[in-house]
Amino acid sequence: MNAPGIDPVTDTTDLNLVQAVNTALRDELARDPAVRVMGYDIGPIGGVFRATEGLYDTFGGERVIDTPLSENGLIGAAVGMAMRGERPVVEIQFLGFLYNAFGQFVCLMSNVRERSGGQLSVPMTIRTPFGGGIKPLQFHSESTESYLIHTPGVRVVCPSTPAEAKGLLAASIRCDDPVVFLEHSRLYRAFREPVPTAPYALPLDKARVVREGREVTVLAWGAMVHVAQQAIDDMAVDAELIDLRVLAPLDVKTILDSVRRTGRCVIVHEARRTLGLGAELSALVTEHVFDCLKAPVRRVTAFDVQFPENQTEDYYLPDARRVRHGIESVLQYRF
Amino acid sequence: MGQHKWAEQAPDETFFRIQAPDGTLLGQPPDLDDATLLRMYRTLVLTRAYETHTIRMQRRGELSVTAQSTYEEAVGLGAAAALRDGDWCFPSYRQFAAHLYWGVPMDRTLAILRGGAPETVAEHLPLDTPPGVTFTPYGVILGTNVLNAAGSAMADKLNGRDIVTLAFTGEGSTSEGDFHDALNFAAVFKAPLVVVVHNNQWAISTPAHRQHAAPTFAHKALAHGLPGERVDGNDVLAMYQKTREAVDRARAGEGPTLIEAVTYRVVDHNTSDSAEVYRDQALAEHWKQFDPRPRFEAYLADRGLYSDTLRQQYEAECLAEVQAAAARALPLPRSDAMTMFDSQLFGDPGWHLRLQQRELAAELNDANPYTAIDPETLE
Repeated sequence: MNAPGIDPVTDTTDLNLVQAVNTALRDELARDPAVRVMGYDIGPIGGVFRATEGLYDTFGGERVIDTPLSENGLIGAAVGMAMRGERPVVEIQFLGFLYNAFGQFVCLMSNVRERSGGQLSVPMTIRTPFGGGIKPLQFHSESTESYLIHTPGVRVVCPSTPAEAKGLLAASIRCDDPVVFLEHSRLYRAFREPVPTAPYALPLDKARVVREGREVTVLAWGAMVHVAQQAIDDMAVDAELIDLRVLAPLDVKTILDSVRRTGRCVIVHEARRTLGLGAELSALVTEHVFDCLKAPVRRVTAFDVQFPENQTEDYYLPDARRVRHGIESVLQYRF
Repeated sequence: MGQHKWAEQAPDETFFRIQAPDGTLLGQPPDLDDATLLRMYRTLVLTRAYETHTIRMQRRGELSVTAQSTYEEAVGLGAAAALRDGDWCFPSYRQFAAHLYWGVPMDRTLAILRGGAPETVAEHLPLDTPPGVTFTPYGVILGTNVLNAAGSAMADKLNGRDIVTLAFTGEGSTSEGDFHDALNFAAVFKAPLVVVVHNNQWAISTPAHRQHAAPTFAHKALAHGLPGERVDGNDVLAMYQKTREAVDRARAGEGPTLIEAVTYRVVDHNTSDSAEVYRDQALAEHWKQFDPRPRFEAYLADRGLYSDTLRQQYEAECLAEVQAAAARALPLPRSDAMTMFDSQLFGDPGWHLRLQQRELAAELNDANPYTAIDPETLE
């Protein structure tokens, strides 16, 4: 594991991503009495994915607050609590349910600090599962992070491994800005890895270079990091794989430095293509390192349609083959 | 301009009232000492002086859009007077009386209405003594603030703090989901919250009877399981009394209360509005006779506190105060363009904003931002 910020430790525990989230919540609840975990179905049941399992028993109903079923109520109430010195960590059951709270997200959560000239702040975190591949019902598979990233005044974080999730969630909760923390539901139980047992926080301003390479830069986040890794392994290409980790604000320097060296850039995301984050990444590369490019930037994405039904979703989501085609297209390109 | 105007329905006058519109006492007045009554009266005079002056300033191009509460001041005044030091208020844009009762400085409000960045205003007009009650910046989308106020009250409840949160909204925004989320969350968590629905019968051009089909706005409390009161919003004493009861309930841990303050928007919605386009102004003229000020003066006279001399003295003092505040607000330097980047994110705002800040700085320096900056120099 090469995540920067984690000191080599001998004391680790094998955790999957949802267990890592649970551990970080437990650590932060224990560390800071202002932290309050809020949501519906997060108390005795422990969340529909069990991310908050056991927390209600340990910390009680005033720290782990089961609320009425309203995303807008949750975000709006949490904003008011955060303005008064609390540090709420709100679970939205699925990213596709956050739309009901969009007004509070844009107009209040991301706006109060600026509007008050810095007199008030909103140190809250929204945790929410997102992404496709687990074949549930509609609005349970969305990858609509662009809606969030377009809003100023908020950080958007997306871990790709259990160890990353633990350190990035701790950092998000401790951060004085509002943060949306996107947990890929397909990764929750996909694999385990050794996670440092002691609490730690990872930086919120550094992308993670998963593997170094010289031929092509591949940018991904969430589950797509693993899909891209698979494609790179299949192809035996000398690719540099970067896990963005934080989608807003972006660590642009790491991205541009890499493309300057490789001269090729492939962006992999499971969000729809038009105005997905890939559009911004592609624009950054062409605006700032155009003269280093050996091929046009390639976006490997889902399609500009609604997230499809279970039987066809595998054809919607980028897989290793689609990523391989994307990488091949830039490697084969001749001006 | 369209031909159609909305028909109006006169509001039902079955509400709590302490004084009749002519000033006659109908019930037991609240237990208020002379100093508090005079502070309330002076606030009423100050609010009217302030609003008269701000309309004039707006017409001269010195202020952006502003709203008035003239003839509706009793709502904000009576409710805010029921708070005490340490409490919080999430106001709407029509509660100048509440602000002024608690000493929110007019110069800062005027400077903000001139479009100054809050950082610039804070720099040039520092706050010597913060008001006893903390007022949040008012949200232009009303209803959203009530939900944040519920969260504020939940925070106090969770921490065992003896603080009440008061929120104001309009009757129009009771149609918003945020309003119902607020009542529901506050009721479920028994949060120390008082919500005042400032029902002035008009949400810009939408009359109250097109806003909902419930018998009254106070009925909204019923479904959410909290008490709903309906009060004569032009009766300062009645507004104080019912808000005070609600504040006391909140402090005693008995949870939130909804208060419908029934009044009438005699004035335009704001300085960009022309009410004659969509309503018959006869009813607005009719409501001028329910002006809360002479009614309150009658009570003060009963208590031996009122005289024409006192009124004239307050009017002169308040006009001078407003003029002095305007004189402090007007000469403030325009906000530096770079202040738009303030208060975005704590610490490093990220590569994008660092670049964009430098771009704007280059433009301000008459340079070409796209050739003047080498992005490689952005750490």
